[in-house]
Amino acid sequence: MITVDRVSKTRSRTRILHDVTFEARPGRVTGFLGPNGAGKTSTLRILLGLDRPESGAALICGRPYRKLDRPLTTIGALLDGSGAHRARTARAHLRWVAASNGLPDSRADEVLEIVGLTGDARKRAGRFSLGMSRRLGLATALLGDPEVLVLDEPVNGLDPVGIRWMREFLRNSAAQGRTVLLSSHLMSELAEIADDVIVIDKGRIVARGSLAEVTGDHRTLEDAFFALTATEAVRPW
Amino acid sequence: MNVARAELRKLLTLPSLRLTALLTWAATLLLAYAYAYADRDAPLGDAALAPLGYTQAGFLVLGVLAAASEYEEGGQIHTTLLAMPRRLPLHVVKALTLGAVTLPVAAVTAATSTLPAGGATWTPAATAYLTLTTLLAAAVAGVVRRAVPAAILLLGLYFIVGPLLRARPGGIAAYLPDTAALDPPRGAAATVAWTAAALALAALTFHRRDA
Amino acid sequence: MVSRVRAELRKLLGLPTAWVGLVLGTLTAPAIVLLNAPYTRRAIAAGTLTDTSDLGLRDLGVGLIGPMVLGVIAVSSEYTSTSQHAPGARQLTATLTAVPDRLRLLVAKTAALVLVVAAQAAVAATATLGLTQVLHGDHVPAPAPARVAGAILYWTLTALLAYAITLITRNGIVPLTLLVINSTVVSVSYLLTKITDLASYLPDIVGAQMFIRDADFPVEIAPLTAGLVMTAWVAVLLAIGAVLFQRRDA
Ligand SMILES: Nc1ncnc2c1ncn2[C@@H]1O[C@H](COP(=O)(O)OP(=O)(O)OP(=O)(O)O)[C@@H](O)[C@H]1O
Ligand SMILES: [Mg+2]
Repeated sequence: MITVDRVSKTRSRTRILHDVTFEARPGRVTGFLGPNGAGKTSTLRILLGLDRPESGAALICGRPYRKLDRPLTTIGALLDGSGAHRARTARAHLRWVAASNGLPDSRADEVLEIVGLTGDARKRAGRFSLGMSRRLGLATALLGDPEVLVLDEPVNGLDPVGIRWMREFLRNSAAQGRTVLLSSHLMSELAEIADDVIVIDKGRIVARGSLAEVTGDHRTLEDAFFALTATEAVRPW
Repeated sequence: MNVARAELRKLLTLPSLRLTALLTWAATLLLAYAYAYADRDAPLGDAALAPLGYTQAGFLVLGVLAAASEYEEGGQIHTTLLAMPRRLPLHVVKALTLGAVTLPVAAVTAATSTLPAGGATWTPAATAYLTLTTLLAAAVAGVVRRAVPAAILLLGLYFIVGPLLRARPGGIAAYLPDTAALDPPRGAAATVAWTAAALALAALTFHRRDA
Repeated sequence: MVSRVRAELRKLLGLPTAWVGLVLGTLTAPAIVLLNAPYTRRAIAAGTLTDTSDLGLRDLGVGLIGPMVLGVIAVSSEYTSTSQHAPGARQLTATLTAVPDRLRLLVAKTAALVLVVAAQAAVAATATLGLTQVLHGDHVPAPAPARVAGAILYWTLTALLAYAITLITRNGIVPLTLLVINSTVVSVSYLLTKITDLASYLPDIVGAQMFIRDADFPVEIAPLTAGLVMTAWVAVLLAIGAVLFQRRDA
């Protein structure tokens, strides 16, 4: 369960988030949608305790991130990049993360297997391709077998096999009762996996509800998105 | 305890730290030889500590690399803070583990410099000094967050500004953090105070700032 | 060529760290002259300074951190990551896409660095020597133009030395540490001259003889020879750096 309650944030004297409020519930995939620069990453970083909100609160299972004990067993997150230092091998990276939350070393190899990186365990993170880096990031998120997953643009950089795998993985996770929150600007992708949708534009939530509710009278989620965010469907470059 | 284990693993699996430690020790050996060869008649205290006056640069780099590695490409700092979100305890543990890892390197390096010159009694003080210097550098790099600018700042202070101030009679030079390298009894307090202050400042910014 | 040099100039001057080098390098030496003025005056009065014609030129040495930083940063900035998204994304990738001929790129880069450092050296030297004249003019002869030129050349060659070593190591910390600890009052090179006379031919020791007279150099080398030896060092290291840069993957 994720609760974001009236979160605001100013950066370089510009308000980038205005009273952002939403929920993501267990057993459902919640899509967080918005154009570039809308504030998706900023919101998720506050939720994950990386940045501080100016006002409001973001809670995971009723608690702020910084108050979680062994947080990786509650929540797994995937952000930009691999989250690993380039000079460390994938396995060495996962092992220190595992140690930090009191997880056994064997978890490192288990999650490498889940994301299909078993053969690259001894490779240094700096030598990974974009897609491999994302997989390593996901492996890190899965270490503690968390009940909540937060992913920022998870399919970014993945190949078609990886995208399909991710879709099924997230659906299965929700089916097992986990809370899944993922941001994206890929409409068709999101329409296929999201149960609930939150739309953010210029730092404000402009719509939230089930996929059907947000799509409303529009033909597709994409049409609804353009109507909601008032961006033109075709930009004359 | 988990946090300490994680931080220890992080430090031990960073190749650049091993390399820096090795090079620093090798440079100390070379300089100790140079001093022994150059002025056989010079007073003992000087030749025992003088090589460390140079190779403390290696310990500055060690601290800088350890702290700045969190902020390099790939965004390891995100992983660190997601896994260990309580920043103040994390900061304390980071300093302790870095100190624990540096201590043996500092001891071996200090002995390499002091023993050939017959200054064995200086070894413990020199070890403590080098370890504290590493922590100070790590604190500064934790605030600056980037290795090269932090190294410029520290090396400039230790090797350019410091000697310049010291060349002037009297003045504030006695209160610089590296005074202990030349005059351990008087400089010890300065080194401890500067390191503590730098660590406190780093803790404050680490706690306050967005990652 | 001109446009490439201009692009490299922009890149160099767009780096915050380069500005640290510019400001430090330009202001440190004049500041030291000002701060030390009372002591210097006393020393002159007491007659402890043997060769006053060295005065301003010696003070110039502390500014050398400027060219060192500039030389290192000109290369190391290409190798630091520009993005967290793509591992191994470096500015160098973009640079090489724009100027695929690596030798031309290096020539342009070197030219940009030389321009910036020579200008900085000229400003720093003018300020330092001018201040020395204003403060101690009665006792200090105006510096010979050849020696000033030697000092400016020394700065430029020092920057190129830093630049060449960084090209070889592809990492800024190593050359920076080496050069900065070697620029201290009692440098490692100087220490080595106590062991072997050969150390007198190390670049920083030999180069100083272009413009400093009064120091206990174990081997006296004529300014012109000194300049040539230091230039040869830089040329060899630059050549090695250039060959490696050509051969290695970006
Ligand atoms: N460190 C920062 N300093 C100043 N402004 C920032 C900073 N980080 C983000 N912003 C601004 O905050 C706004 C929201 O950025 P954010 O990264 O949250 O967008 P996003 O929705 O994730 O976009 P994208 O789809 O491109 O990833 C943008 O206008 C951005 O310029
Ligand atoms: Mg984003």
